[in-house]
Amino acid sequence: MDNDLQLARAAAEAALATEGVYSLGTGRYVEAATYGPGEKVTGVVVGPDEVRVHIVVSYPPPEPIPALAERVRERAALRSGGRAMTVVVEDLEVVRDENL
Amino acid sequence: MRIFNRIVVILLLAGLVYLGIATVVYIFEMGPYELEDLPNALGFGGLYEGLNGYVGNIESGNIDALDVIVLSAITLLGLVLFILELKPPTPRRVRMQRGTYITRRAVEREVSPLVEQEPEVLQSNVKVKAQRRPGAKVQVGASIRPGEDARSVQSEVQSRVQQQMAETGVPVSDLRVRANESDPRQTKTRVK
Repeated sequence: MDNDLQLARAAAEAALATEGVYSLGTGRYVEAATYGPGEKVTGVVVGPDEVRVHIVVSYPPPEPIPALAERVRERAALRSGGRAMTVVVEDLEVVRDENL
Repeated sequence: MRIFNRIVVILLLAGLVYLGIATVVYIFEMGPYELEDLPNALGFGGLYEGLNGYVGNIESGNIDALDVIVLSAITLLGLVLFILELKPPTPRRVRMQRGTYITRRAVEREVSPLVEQEPEVLQSNVKVKAQRRPGAKVQVGASIRPGEDARSVQSEVQSRVQQQMAETGVPVSDLRVRANESDPRQTKTRVK
């Protein structure tokens, strides 16, 4: 269980560190999270064979969304402990240009 | 269709359970029951007699064309329901590449403002379906004023959505745009 939490935290950090990722998604009908004693990591679901990362992409994205999702997948896969990695783009968030 | 099939199966199983309990009661002669009275007790007396005669007629090849049509239709319906049940369900998310998906809502939120950017469009209705292969099936309904050129609006919306989807890379494998004339008093926007 602790291992799952560590893995979820690592995947979440890897996803958030990717340019173009606005935040982690929370799931729509079911909360996307990994649960541990007294703690949960929202946005990453660690299963026995698969790790699923839910992301919200900044809009406009810095690169095409499939390429961005693939980059997140590659980064997070390095920390997935050999489990299959899936990335779900859950939503787009319009980011205001700070120069305006 | 999966729900329809489930309802049919639930009704069938409920009937079988009822029939099974009644049969057990009658077999073990619990109370003043005889097995031969079972069809009448269940209220199937007339149906049983009718069915008996009908099956007898089928066995002897004595059926009319209408019966053949009805039986064929039932068989065909059963076959269609069976195939639909075997078909794997439509995925919930749109597949982009191997291991990467985008939710239908995200695609909707991407397409809807694009459609409404068109000056003639008063309101949009976007439906996104995920497919087993990569790419989404997008159906766009655009409400326009009566008298507007629906064809040109359709083609403009189509090209705008395709161009923007190509830029953002959201895979759309099937895009259908339909412009409907609507009363501006009933749309989200009356004037643009």
